[in-house]
Amino acid sequence: MPSLQISRTRDTIAGTEGTGPRPVHSVDLAPLMGTWVNFDSAATGIHHLEIADRNGQLVVRTWGTGSPEPQGWGEVVAEPFTDGVALHTAVAFRAAYDHGFARVMLASYLNKRLLVVDAYTIFQDGSGRSPYFQRDHFYIP
Amino acid sequence: MDVSSVRLEDRLAGEAPGGGQVDPTPMFGTWHNTDKQTGGIVRMVLAERNSIFIVHAWAAGFPDLHDWGEAAATAHAANVHSHEGMAFSAVYDFGFVETILAAYTKSGILVLDTFNTFKDGSGRSNYFTREFFYR
Repeated sequence: MPSLQISRTRDTIAGTEGTGPRPVHSVDLAPLMGTWVNFDSAATGIHHLEIADRNGQLVVRTWGTGSPEPQGWGEVVAEPFTDGVALHTAVAFRAAYDHGFARVMLASYLNKRLLVVDAYTIFQDGSGRSPYFQRDHFYIP
Repeated sequence: MDVSSVRLEDRLAGEAPGGGQVDPTPMFGTWHNTDKQTGGIVRMVLAERNSIFIVHAWAAGFPDLHDWGEAAATAHAANVHSHEGMAFSAVYDFGFVETILAAYTKSGILVLDTFNTFKDGSGRSNYFTREFFYR
């Protein structure tokens, strides 16, 4: 049986170094599910997110802050992540939006029941705006 | 200037745009993991190579560290007006696993998130890490 390739120690499954493939387990998406509202009512970034499990697929709907109403970004499929190679509970996700004039990567993780969302934005419209990073914190009311 | 936006922070507040360039040099240097026992990334060098912002990472391994080599990185500022780099993203594709680095600096500390997706059918779960670095 071939050894697993690793890029760092964390890629190994404790006690099974050198062993081959394991059965694929589905990831429990439940910890990420729900409507997450920004703690900061004066936020200028993401207003709220809806995260759902659609037939085992993680989907994210995002609303950005706006005036007078939040701006819907639409729905994208997101990728869930666990806390380790042998674990099966989602603790983080990554999603990508392409708005045409800008691309936004959402890099998000749970910290207890706080959802932290880091948005990495790159403009592609020649407007001269700098690529920027913005962090927002969310809770389920 | 009337520009597209999907949130308030995207909007310009009247100042002239600065060409969309972000200076990564405030992040340059050798960053060491605060956790000496980490099973993840042990250290990173952020630098410029042929006018390209690069990250060079070394990860935990035995008996030697895993040298990940260099990857192009994208610098991010704190807002659309700023040109001072304070965050970056980069991608390492090792074939069997793809690792996305998403990092920001704050108060002299670099906070690094990695999002790791296996592509080798090994049954390993895709996983997330969060680690802290000092210069």
